[in-house]
Amino acid sequence: MDALIEKLKGQIIEQLNLAEVKPADINPDAPLFGDGLGLDSIDALELIVLLEKHYGIKIQNPADGKKIFESVRTMAQFIKDQGKS
Amino acid sequence: MGKKAYIIGSGCISPQNSTDPNYFFETVNGPDTDHFNAVEPSYKEHINPNMLRRMGRAIKMGASAARMAVTEAGVENVDAIISGTGLGCFEDSEKFLLAIINNDEQFLTPTSFIQSTHNTVGSQVALIMQCKQYNYTYVHRGFSFDSCVMDALMSIEEGKKNILIGGIEEHTPIYIELYRKAKKLNADNSHKYYEGKTKGMQMGEGSAFFVVSDEKKNAVSAIEGIGVAYKPESTEEFTEKLNSFLKSKNTDLGKTDLVLFGISGDKDHDKYLLETLPLASKNSATGYFKHLCGDHHTAGSFAMWLANKIIEKQRIPDAVKINAVPKEKINSVLIINGYIGINYSFTLLTKC
Repeated sequence: MDALIEKLKGQIIEQLNLAEVKPADINPDAPLFGDGLGLDSIDALELIVLLEKHYGIKIQNPADGKKIFESVRTMAQFIKDQGKS
Repeated sequence: MGKKAYIIGSGCISPQNSTDPNYFFETVNGPDTDHFNAVEPSYKEHINPNMLRRMGRAIKMGASAARMAVTEAGVENVDAIISGTGLGCFEDSEKFLLAIINNDEQFLTPTSFIQSTHNTVGSQVALIMQCKQYNYTYVHRGFSFDSCVMDALMSIEEGKKNILIGGIEEHTPIYIELYRKAKKLNADNSHKYYEGKTKGMQMGEGSAFFVVSDEKKNAVSAIEGIGVAYKPESTEEFTEKLNSFLKSKNTDLGKTDLVLFGISGDKDHDKYLLETLPLASKNSATGYFKHLCGDHHTAGSFAMWLANKIIEKQRIPDAVKINAVPKEKINSVLIINGYIGINYSFTLLTKC
């Protein structure tokens, strides 16, 4: 799980072009939106594409998004639960 | 159009060190063989890093130049933001289109698509300034910046006070390579552009923004007016349009202290400008500028920044001079610009 979290951090930084952020700066339990990384709705779309592109996962129910994208850890858990880690 | 637009602030990013407020062409950066690359500043000084991460180079250059102009003008906000660009945010357009091809139309992300439209620069400047006023982007090829100037003059006529205008252009490696393959670029640096010996342009990029006002305030110069000529069919037609513009401003070629020519180094496209040069050189100081900024759709914005600087300093840099007609005072500068033999414009600036 830790290895997946670290991999995910790198992919998020690359996908969202967070040039000023290093993987170590991202707290895996901190909120991705609002506080924490301070991401917005465009970033949410980028993260959906990230899951599809790198892990072959399509989010079927948009209502699940809020829970999945709560933090890096919840994203990693979702990937693991889908058997794609 | 009777009212002037006073230039109360300017900012310029170009292939020269134009972001340095003390720079006045003591050193000159040449082309990278057949094109010029902009000297880009540290954008973090001008734009919030969180916004910066989504921006392509055109947006970064435009938003930074706009910020510089607004800071210099010392205004809180403006009544209008008017931008001009021929190519728009080309880098993001490429990114989005390449993603479609490379990913077989799958996994398309929104950022580069959102940022790829021509009016992104104007809208990002508005977001940064929280300016909800008139916002317009002219995409009129070689007339893009000239249209901004016209709109600003008309807006001042209608009662607007402070207006932000600017031109933005970026090139990309793919765009340069396409021009190279089409044999539209010139890598021969052994001749001066005004000698009329070479073919093809040396492509450039950059952005210059200005805050123009209906009041003189601390302005160095004022835009008296702008005239255009689209595809003139003969030297006579070109000269008639130029003279007609000058007459409307109660002046003529011989009365202008300095004439700046947008000669591109492509002798085919420069025909009318090269034929006008000896006429202007009789009584006026003459200069050129595209060997400093490269040729692009909105190079006229760089010329306006240069003209404003020359009026401020009351000196013509050696790098700009064509002839040696001495001028004790530079009270008026006429910019005669041309783009690929299609779009010609005449812009008159006077000292305040």
